[in-house]
Amino acid sequence: MKTSDTPSIRRRLLSYLLAPLLLLLVLGVAVDHQVIVNPIYSTFDRSLSRAALAIAAHIRRTPDGQLDIPIPDRPPAPLRAPPQEKFFYRVSTLDGNTIAGDAQLPIVAAGRNSKGLDYADVTYQGLQLRLVSYRTTEAGEPLVVSAAEIPFRRDRAVHRMDVSFGINNSIQMLLMLGTALLGITIALRPLRRLREQIVGCAPQALNPISTAEVPAEVRPLVDSLNTLLVSVRDATLAQQHFLANAAHQLRTPLTGLKAQLEVLGQEASGSPLQARITQLHGGIDRLAHTANQLLALARAEPSAHLASHFTQIELPALIGAVIGNSLDHALQRDIDLGADCQPAQVYGVYWLLRELLLNLLDNAIRHTPLGGHITLRCGIELGQPFLEVDDSGPGIPIAERERVRERFYHGTGSERDSCGLGLAIVDEAARAHGAHFSILDSHDCQGARMRIDFPAPSNVSPAGALPSEKPSKR
Amino acid sequence: MRILLVEDDSLVADAIVRGLSAEGYAVDRTAAAEPVPGLMEGTHYDLAIIDLGLPGEDGFALVRRLRRAGNGLPLLIVTARDGLDDRVSALDLGADDYMVKPFALPELAARCRALIRRASAATSNELTIGQLRIDLAGRRALSPAGQVLELTRREWSILECLAHHSGRVVSKERLIQAIAGWDEDISSNAIEVHVSRLRGKLEGAATVRGIRGLGYRLEDL
Repeated sequence: MKTSDTPSIRRRLLSYLLAPLLLLLVLGVAVDHQVIVNPIYSTFDRSLSRAALAIAAHIRRTPDGQLDIPIPDRPPAPLRAPPQEKFFYRVSTLDGNTIAGDAQLPIVAAGRNSKGLDYADVTYQGLQLRLVSYRTTEAGEPLVVSAAEIPFRRDRAVHRMDVSFGINNSIQMLLMLGTALLGITIALRPLRRLREQIVGCAPQALNPISTAEVPAEVRPLVDSLNTLLVSVRDATLAQQHFLANAAHQLRTPLTGLKAQLEVLGQEASGSPLQARITQLHGGIDRLAHTANQLLALARAEPSAHLASHFTQIELPALIGAVIGNSLDHALQRDIDLGADCQPAQVYGVYWLLRELLLNLLDNAIRHTPLGGHITLRCGIELGQPFLEVDDSGPGIPIAERERVRERFYHGTGSERDSCGLGLAIVDEAARAHGAHFSILDSHDCQGARMRIDFPAPSNVSPAGALPSEKPSKR
Repeated sequence: MRILLVEDDSLVADAIVRGLSAEGYAVDRTAAAEPVPGLMEGTHYDLAIIDLGLPGEDGFALVRRLRRAGNGLPLLIVTARDGLDDRVSALDLGADDYMVKPFALPELAARCRALIRRASAATSNELTIGQLRIDLAGRRALSPAGQVLELTRREWSILECLAHHSGRVVSKERLIQAIAGWDEDISSNAIEVHVSRLRGKLEGAATVRGIRGLGYRLEDL
């Protein structure tokens, strides 16, 4: 049911939290980088300048008056570069004459507040270098000692700091996110409770939802839902009231007409009028039947009955009552009407199930030839209660099995005295119980078997009555 | 036998009066509930047929009022409403039977007959099913010719139980309960044997119809 494009408050909250948090993470790492990069660079600069100072300390004047820098074969620690590093130096006079080192190495111009040490980033032999120039006076001569290294170590140090800051900040973000997730879940708990409350009540109940624990933000929603529920319930009650009135207004004159014609038929017994009275009587019977069926169909609409009508119903007792009602009708047609009942219970509306079974039986009696047999069954199969009406009639061709459920449908060869609503009522009543109505072949191969499969008792909620579960055929 | 009919629709009332009169009943009719207790004081009735949807005081209120006053008259409710609630409350209030409009007159006459028979059995201790007379006090059944039928105790118990519910299907379980006082361990097959013998003995007076998988029904011929 849930699709990914369903708007979810939880998902929105999370995404609106996640984006700023990620931005903060990036910003935080950038700020940290800026804060840390200068101290690291100045530390490495100082180390570079110590190399320049060490070189300057080795300068001495040879006896012949030349300046000499006896760099040993194995240079001192600051001058020893690891293989991946490159170190350059140059000692020169102020006028640019190189005394020792790489003659091409540039010299940094003297800054104003440099205290003799000046730093710059330069390019030399295609390498990015950090260069320090130290102005000093050795043996009475002003000299410039320059030292340069590639910024590998400082970059690596900065990189390490960046990584550790990144990891640190990410862990913080994850913790924050986890806390936020927990917070959201807890904060949304009243909404979940509300959902459970709404889902938990039977759809026919139409009872207003309690607003006691509803958060203020959702209160208006629940209030308008309650208003809707009340108006639907009022409409349902009004419809029931209307149906009760309609039933009374239709049935009373029909009873009068029917009874008057019966009396008239008896009085006219033997006269030529009797045949016409019998005809009229048949017409009234058909009219009464149709009126009854229409009323039953209207009342079987899921909206028209309330959850309070649902009770535990023993199917064997229901079968007994229905057979008792229709036995004489069956006997008139010399039909062997019987039952095969195993204990079974359903949660349902008694009069609706009675109407369902009466219509199935009436239909079976109508279509079973004289001397045939009809069996009503009930029991539990695979945990699901079922009702069955099995007859020895001609059966229903597979092609017609869907159509016979339609209202006012008359199958091939069906008698005109049925109004074609019986199986539509069965269909509607079954749906109101979340049950499935199927038309099958009789166990004896010949004849029809009408079967109602009820939902397993564990999920007895009359959810089948939800309008959304109606098949789209109508 | 006198019947009081409380029905406001004159078309229905007129037909019921004519139909039941043709069956040999004397029928008085009133269109409202209010005068009923007064009518009952002046005349002895064997049965009252009450429509639920009356103007003014409705049928429910009338039934309640009669039963509260200790009136034990058999009451048959007729109604155009078919809700289960109506049925339950009418029977709970003390009505004896219930019919939904539109009904057939012969069906109404049969219900009236059954109610009057049941009520008279309570006072006279005698039931009549077609040609069969059942003497409840003497625990014996009489053939149309007036001969006492030779029945075993179990056959008698079965007949008594069926006769009390004549016209209705009585389940096998109920019959087993009815005779379990003598024999704790009665099988469903044993019931069939007893019923089959009883059916033979009743021949010519009444018959016991077996309903496959359900039970038995006592019918007149």
